[in-house]
Amino acid sequence: MADYKRAKWAEWADHIKSLDDPATNFEKPEALDDLIVIDVSSRSMAGCYCSSLLAELGAETIRIEPPGGDLVRTYSPDGIMNKDTGLAYLQEGRNKFHITLDLETEKGREMFKSLAGQADVVIETYPAGRMDEWGIGYEELSKLNPRLIFASISPFGQFGPESNRKQFDYDNVAQARSSIQYQTGEFLTDGKTYDDMPWAVPTKAGPWIAWCVGGAFAAAGILAALHYREVTGDGQAIDVSSAEAYERLNDYALHWYGDQGHITERFGSLDTALWLYGFFPTSDGGVFLGGLRLEMWKAFVDILGKWDEWGADEWTTLAPFMKEDWQFKYQAMINPETSKYTSHELTQKSIEYAKTGRLAPITPVVAEIVSPWQTMHDNNWIERGMFTPVQDPEYGSVVCAQAQWKATGTPPRTKWVCRPVGADNGYIYLKYLGYGPVMLEELKGSGVV
Amino acid sequence: MTAVFKDYVKNKFSKPGPLKGLRVIELVTLLFGPSGPSFLAEMGAEVIKIELPPLGDVTRSLKPFDWFYKEQGPMFMHINPNKYYMALDLHIDMGQDIFKELIAKADIVEFNLRPAVTNRWNIGYEDLKKVNPGIIYIEKNGFGQWGQYAEEDRPSNDGAAQALSGYAWISSFPGQPPLKQGIWICDYFGGLMGETAVLAALHHRRKTGKGQYIEMSQSENIMRAMQWVWPYQQMKGKSVEPAGNRDQCICPADTFLCADNQFAAIAAPAPDEFKGLCEAMGKSELADDPRFKDHTTRLKEENALAILKIIAEWARTKGADDIENLGIRHGFAASRVHSGKDMFENKHRRERDFVKEIDDPLYGKYVEHCFPVMMSKTPPKIKWTVRPVGFDNEYILTKVLGRNQRQIDELYTHGVIGKWKDMQGRRPPSDWDGKYGAILRR
Repeated sequence: MADYKRAKWAEWADHIKSLDDPATNFEKPEALDDLIVIDVSSRSMAGCYCSSLLAELGAETIRIEPPGGDLVRTYSPDGIMNKDTGLAYLQEGRNKFHITLDLETEKGREMFKSLAGQADVVIETYPAGRMDEWGIGYEELSKLNPRLIFASISPFGQFGPESNRKQFDYDNVAQARSSIQYQTGEFLTDGKTYDDMPWAVPTKAGPWIAWCVGGAFAAAGILAALHYREVTGDGQAIDVSSAEAYERLNDYALHWYGDQGHITERFGSLDTALWLYGFFPTSDGGVFLGGLRLEMWKAFVDILGKWDEWGADEWTTLAPFMKEDWQFKYQAMINPETSKYTSHELTQKSIEYAKTGRLAPITPVVAEIVSPWQTMHDNNWIERGMFTPVQDPEYGSVVCAQAQWKATGTPPRTKWVCRPVGADNGYIYLKYLGYGPVMLEELKGSGVV
Repeated sequence: MTAVFKDYVKNKFSKPGPLKGLRVIELVTLLFGPSGPSFLAEMGAEVIKIELPPLGDVTRSLKPFDWFYKEQGPMFMHINPNKYYMALDLHIDMGQDIFKELIAKADIVEFNLRPAVTNRWNIGYEDLKKVNPGIIYIEKNGFGQWGQYAEEDRPSNDGAAQALSGYAWISSFPGQPPLKQGIWICDYFGGLMGETAVLAALHHRRKTGKGQYIEMSQSENIMRAMQWVWPYQQMKGKSVEPAGNRDQCICPADTFLCADNQFAAIAAPAPDEFKGLCEAMGKSELADDPRFKDHTTRLKEENALAILKIIAEWARTKGADDIENLGIRHGFAASRVHSGKDMFENKHRRERDFVKEIDDPLYGKYVEHCFPVMMSKTPPKIKWTVRPVGFDNEYILTKVLGRNQRQIDELYTHGVIGKWKDMQGRRPPSDWDGKYGAILRR
């Protein structure tokens, strides 16, 4: 039972929960269980994340690694391994069958063609042109299988002058290329250098967000191509650059430069276009403060006890507060005030203000900036099924971020987290190529699998 | 160049979008809501944006520092291309009825309201399912439809999601406070994932005829992108901490200050890449150093710090572009950190039509990003930008719902539909000629 005060609309909450609680996911059908997906991505978590999304939706997903395993298996903080697999791949091997195949060999490429001939989707992340050189690019495969959807994820895309570069795709380099890293981070204070403040530099996001965005756009493209294929019968080639995909999420910086010649610079944890909107320090950490309406900003000033001193009575519009110099001015005034409280105290003050403040029920958004450790132990997310561990036959009980969305019809779900290198060679090669144990031993002997 | 993409840009407009024939209705605001349907619109779906007259979406008022583009909020323009603009008052039952008429002819409907608000307006899931059992209904908000935070009616926004998910915590430098991203990542990534959910549901509908209800939480969505963080915490019994620009799972992978005071990112974990980087640095012997012999060994904390220090010292003797070029020559990944200026001037982005000049009937020529998925048979496209509040009322009511002018006038009289208020961001730009861009309107 819930131990919080139920909402007025609790009946709706209970109703929709009864329809989409992830605890019942396994009773429901899967959206993509009629599809076969081959993921031959190399070194790139963008490809793996893309195929994870399709595999979570039920596609039979065959992950092809070179004999010995893909480099992504080694991605792990401090090199930590769980059996043969690093912690990162322990998230993105989910729901996939794992086979090995050496695409450097003629026989390997022939086997790949046979698999692709039966597949609906191929995902690859080699440098542009590599699959064509091997004779297993879209041109060749589409002759065998005109319905095939062939998605490439790469650093620079499949055409354009920079596509001739033969480099692999890495998240941190894509973040740098996207222009988003440039405008994220603390700024240097006057007279200081990068040696004085080595943290005041263009700063990338901690997670592999360029890879995730690249993979997610590719997945959206694949699903849209699938829609088109169901109408026309035609497959097609899809080209995604991780850097471009992430750059697309940079809002107006391009337009701003084009129109005004203005380069968007780092602005710390404030926001160039919004007020009140940013991170502010507290005595035990920090909070996000949000108040995008004038009254919310005034309410916040009232909470700090600065209504008269700062002249809140006189304010009639939020507009001037978005100006750069005003943001700095008020940030400097707010910081010492919020630092008097703990994050919890400030949150409580905001809740209390909503009941008794002079502008009640208006109150600012106050959200504690928590560590992912706190997130993982927050009952709200646990009850919503976000961190339900997967009971994996090989790797044991593994905590995964679950269920990116909840749905009444065909929710995504995680069945297993990963498979050892080549663990499914026997099953997949028998099912799709008719290779029994004798043939497989021969291929192993010659290094093809 | 891959052969299949030869002349891709040249032939873009001789091919349809992949979602041709789909109709999407959105009743959304700010960024988390509208970003997703834009992606569908760029892929060829007909997206009808419903706003409340006469003010419409509040995003029309937001501006970075002191810059509006022709009186319009630039972020509003960036996230709402290719849509049709209808202003419909959903507080009135006649407005709700028209909404339902549209739903009967639609495939997808998108909201980002607080839980249960659509129920109050008689356009909740159970209401709309009766009108169209195949409808795919998505609601995106901070905390979903149930659970403590949702029921406390907590407001949310991108910054709160960055704070509550732990994303900001692990995105700064060690010893420094958590850092907010320079973009609204939880809004956009959530919008994108919402469309993945919707398109998967569409495939299911094709097979079964059944629609469904989808709920997407801003914070939960971004947690999925934090990947290795969760099993690490489970295994180590402690939190993941920030590491600045260093990639904690890949070595070497970091951003370095260069001789020209610019920055370059480098990644070289594979044996061939690491060897190439060592050669580029003129230190081939490092590739054989036992501390750096393979990726897993290099990831050990003391080894990682040692190699990153060597690279940092070297990088300060080179320009950022030199490092990028050495990456091309020696086969490791490298890029100068690009800015807004690079986005605008870089030839590659233009030749791919990823960055292009739009020729809009109301807002004139300006430079914008296109959809970042190139599709050989069905190229996504950006065609036009935003419209004043209620600008396409006549088009939608006539073409989609078959109303005549007398009926439309009556709806105006009753305040069921409306046009823009005479204020910034709601009305047409001042240099508009009163005709261009208007469809089926006198």
